[in-house]
Amino acid sequence: MTDEEILEVENLIVRFYTYEGIVEALDGVNLKIRKGEILGLVGETGCGKSVTSLSTLVLVPPPGSIEAGKIFLKTQGKKVNLLEQDRETLRTVRGSEISMVFQEPRAYLNPVYSVENQISEVLLVHRKEEFLKRAIETIKKKKKGSNFELKLYQRMLEKPKSLTTKLLSKFTSKRTLKMELHNEVVALLKNMEIPDPERVAKMYPHELSGGMAQRVVIAMALSCNPKILLADEPTTNLDVTVQAQILQLVSLLRKNFQSSILYVTHDLGVVAEICDRVAVMYAGNVVETADVFEIFNNPLHPYTKALLESIPRPGKEFKSIPGVVPSLIKPPRGCRFHDRCDFAMEVCRKVKPQFLEVKKDHFVACHLYGGPK
Amino acid sequence: MTSLIAYITRRLIFLIFVLIGVTLMIFAITMLFSPEIRAYLYIRNIQHVTPDVVRSVIEKYGLNDPFYLQFSRWLGQVLQGNLGWSQSSAQPVAEAILTRWPYTFEIVIFAAPLIIFFGIYLGVQAGVHRNGIIDHVTRVFSIIGYSLPSFWLGLLLLSVFYGKLGWLPPGALSYEAEQAVHASSFVRYTHIDLIDGILNGQFWITLDVLKHVILPVIVIVVIDIAVLVRVMRSSMLESLSKQYVTAARAKGLDEKTVIYKHARRNALIPVATLSGMLVAGLLGGLVITETVFGFGGLGQWAANAAIGLDVPAVLGYAMLSALLFVIANLIVDIMYAYIDPRIRLE
Amino acid sequence: MEPRVKEWKFMVKRVRETPLALAGLIIIIFFILIALLAPVLAPPTYSDPFKIPQDKEIYSLTPNPTPPTLTHIFGTSDQQYDIYYACIWGTITAFRVGLTVVLISLIIGLILGVAAAYYGGILDEILMRFTDIIIAFPGLILAMALVLAFPAAIPINLSSIFLVFSIICSFIIIMAHPDKKLLLITQMIVVAFLVSYIYQPIVLHLEITNLDKVLFAIAIVGWPGYARLIRGEILRVKNEDYIEAAKAAGSSDFQIITKHILPNTIYPLLVVVSMDVGSIVLTAAALSFLGIGAPIDYADWGQMISRSRAWIRNPEMLASNFHTFFIPGLFITLFSLGWNLLGDALRDVLDPMLRRR
Repeated sequence: MTDEEILEVENLIVRFYTYEGIVEALDGVNLKIRKGEILGLVGETGCGKSVTSLSTLVLVPPPGSIEAGKIFLKTQGKKVNLLEQDRETLRTVRGSEISMVFQEPRAYLNPVYSVENQISEVLLVHRKEEFLKRAIETIKKKKKGSNFELKLYQRMLEKPKSLTTKLLSKFTSKRTLKMELHNEVVALLKNMEIPDPERVAKMYPHELSGGMAQRVVIAMALSCNPKILLADEPTTNLDVTVQAQILQLVSLLRKNFQSSILYVTHDLGVVAEICDRVAVMYAGNVVETADVFEIFNNPLHPYTKALLESIPRPGKEFKSIPGVVPSLIKPPRGCRFHDRCDFAMEVCRKVKPQFLEVKKDHFVACHLYGGPK
Repeated sequence: MTSLIAYITRRLIFLIFVLIGVTLMIFAITMLFSPEIRAYLYIRNIQHVTPDVVRSVIEKYGLNDPFYLQFSRWLGQVLQGNLGWSQSSAQPVAEAILTRWPYTFEIVIFAAPLIIFFGIYLGVQAGVHRNGIIDHVTRVFSIIGYSLPSFWLGLLLLSVFYGKLGWLPPGALSYEAEQAVHASSFVRYTHIDLIDGILNGQFWITLDVLKHVILPVIVIVVIDIAVLVRVMRSSMLESLSKQYVTAARAKGLDEKTVIYKHARRNALIPVATLSGMLVAGLLGGLVITETVFGFGGLGQWAANAAIGLDVPAVLGYAMLSALLFVIANLIVDIMYAYIDPRIRLE
Repeated sequence: MEPRVKEWKFMVKRVRETPLALAGLIIIIFFILIALLAPVLAPPTYSDPFKIPQDKEIYSLTPNPTPPTLTHIFGTSDQQYDIYYACIWGTITAFRVGLTVVLISLIIGLILGVAAAYYGGILDEILMRFTDIIIAFPGLILAMALVLAFPAAIPINLSSIFLVFSIICSFIIIMAHPDKKLLLITQMIVVAFLVSYIYQPIVLHLEITNLDKVLFAIAIVGWPGYARLIRGEILRVKNEDYIEAAKAAGSSDFQIITKHILPNTIYPLLVVVSMDVGSIVLTAAALSFLGIGAPIDYADWGQMISRSRAWIRNPEMLASNFHTFFIPGLFITLFSLGWNLLGDALRDVLDPMLRRR
């Protein structure tokens, strides 16, 4: 892992144990994300993009299970394998070092709680001390809030785990703390260019439009300044105009917050617009990774080439990739693309190609470019 | 907040409508009987009855009048508190209800909270630990629970705890307590012996009530909790599979918060409706249970009325249940609107 | 293999794999066997096999129940009725009660539910309110009231039955040929008039027993549940895209209902039916227990237990007569358990979300 890289997924294998058989969802995925870059993860539906991003947070739902591989996160100067961490550590990572934004924002917000409630929740999990201190400051300087609250907050800072503290904090009003949180929520919403943030904060998810909800979810994801934002098809369900706004927002975010973004999508247009680097996935494998210009001008993997050629252009004949994506329950041996590949060779049917750096910063998994013959 | 009030008003109107409909239906049932039979309800001394007497009664009370006339007359009576005369208990229906409701109350006040709280707790646990031990055990016990006839369970318990062991007798009060409660020195503040015992400083009476109330409450809880547990479980399973639960975990929330704050509240929504109906339906189940234990409350009274073909009594009981159903629904609706803000728009 | 056949095979396989479902099936089969073999297991004494034999010999000694002996395997109850006999023939009664009530409720509920969901509008509103009202009642009490209200003999007007029948048929035909609505409605009115005129004078008096009253009462209490269930399912399916596609392809309403809607809505119904048989028998037993169901010498499980009401305050009697209520009650519990287990297992199998795990 170089200095620039903050996340490295190494040979990740994920299987789903379903009634119909074992689905080999991820077959050794390799991915590297650098500081401050937007990495696009492209692929057709079902290729494993979402599973990959969920795995980064170690949140693969049952019947799935992460079987092998490593996920390295550079945190506090050290390189840590997330798959070896206990639940407590993982919880500190989720939402604060790595955040996720999902496809259908209103489905990912709990319908019975207000926007404010759900954003404050995240703030309290990861930045509790900071807000307690702020509340204490406010009480001291502005003379707002009671003495009892002051003592309570100080106690919550000093002895957070004691039973008395817990009981006290549960049954008292904590008005100043709530106010501090509220102000922060409003500020966050404002940053997302949400109009009338005070009102939106009190709203419920079903009262928000699609674009608004997505901004709220992004605000929530960024509330603790994560190093990495996982965006799983955040604009797929939105109108094109709203999509453009969100994309603009995303690139602004990268500039202002210096977070890296893993942008999962099947839309090559979006990739071309905002990504720095691109990783192409097919049937559970990353087949090619390169700089965005490289990928578009000089695609190496046959699948990438076919993908780019299948983009409809006026005056050009429709070209699609023959065949269908293989079932992952009994995946084909060797290279999973071999039965649809124009350049397939004998070895492709038998041996799985390795993921190698063929040119500078340009990785491909294809027998055409090296590996055992 | 106004949307909440508007919603409650809408539900209230609907429920009043249901209440009127129910009373109409109850009245329609009485009209299934011929005027001759209905005339008997107005005659207290059945021995000296001749066809002439019957005819004069029909004349006097207009039992041959058109439906709407009789209904409005009857409704007027009901609203004034006159629910007719109960042959089987030889007192006005209204009085019968007033003297007996405290006993039923003593059972319900323990049974309802137990059913609801335990039902929710067990259901949540079963859903969270799917296919675990709690899940299988609650499942088996639930199915057995609602397969049990309440009177059988009651008789079984009675024969063991009273027949064999003599610990927990039937009835609502022991003989001594019965005497004490009717003594002039005993002030009946609420007419509920459970509470009056404490208020009068005679705790042994309260304990006596408890001793008598345990078995009926067990019967009711065992049988009715089953449904609630199952519904809570499946509702919880559905809630846990929702996307906002994954999102909550992705935010770094600890599992307890995810389950109890996020999943459970959404899962409670269908359960709220069910608990309302369950509590309202307790009056139905109590008919059998009170009879088995000779508890002397409304349920037993209704059972005796049914056996004795005492129509006004059965109908009075039916009206009471309908009223309670309406009230329970209203409470549930209010809770519903509090839990789920989306409802307020409906 | 055709997909529908494959689905059924999958379902059956899943049911076979669940131990609880198997247990339920075994219990039900056990009771079916008893019901079929009743004349062999407990040969009837009277011409009406449902009349329980009394042991006159012991009766001359004492009317009190006697514990199990070789001649009376389960013992005798009050007035020396043979409990074994009552339990065996009571099985047939139980099946009769459960299945008849479900059938009646189902038919009424289906027709009204389908009509309401299909035609919508005011018809739907009226049905919803009406079912709301019936559901507002705790079932037992309504059933009690109805049992009291039913006369001992119902005068059945044959013409009205035929009228209702022809109306229903006409509706079905109209749904199949929506373009000929006006013609068909006119024909329907004409037929209705003719029928009512011809059959007017024929009135049958049907004598009904107390047990029948209980059946009808429970059926009347039960149909709203089915009506609402089927209506809800139809409404859910009605809005699915494949229905619009079928309409766009030119299918008639009747075809849509039979080929697309009904197959998709049947499954929850199966679950409810299976569990209802259990609970109906419980309700009927409760009514018999109170004494307003089957008459005193009729072979019915609940009826056997109703004698026990007399011993409630008598601990010695309770203890010594334990067998008189324990055994019939056990039969009731097991019967209900069997159906409930089956219904529960079906529900798990048919739940689309939990299926493919």
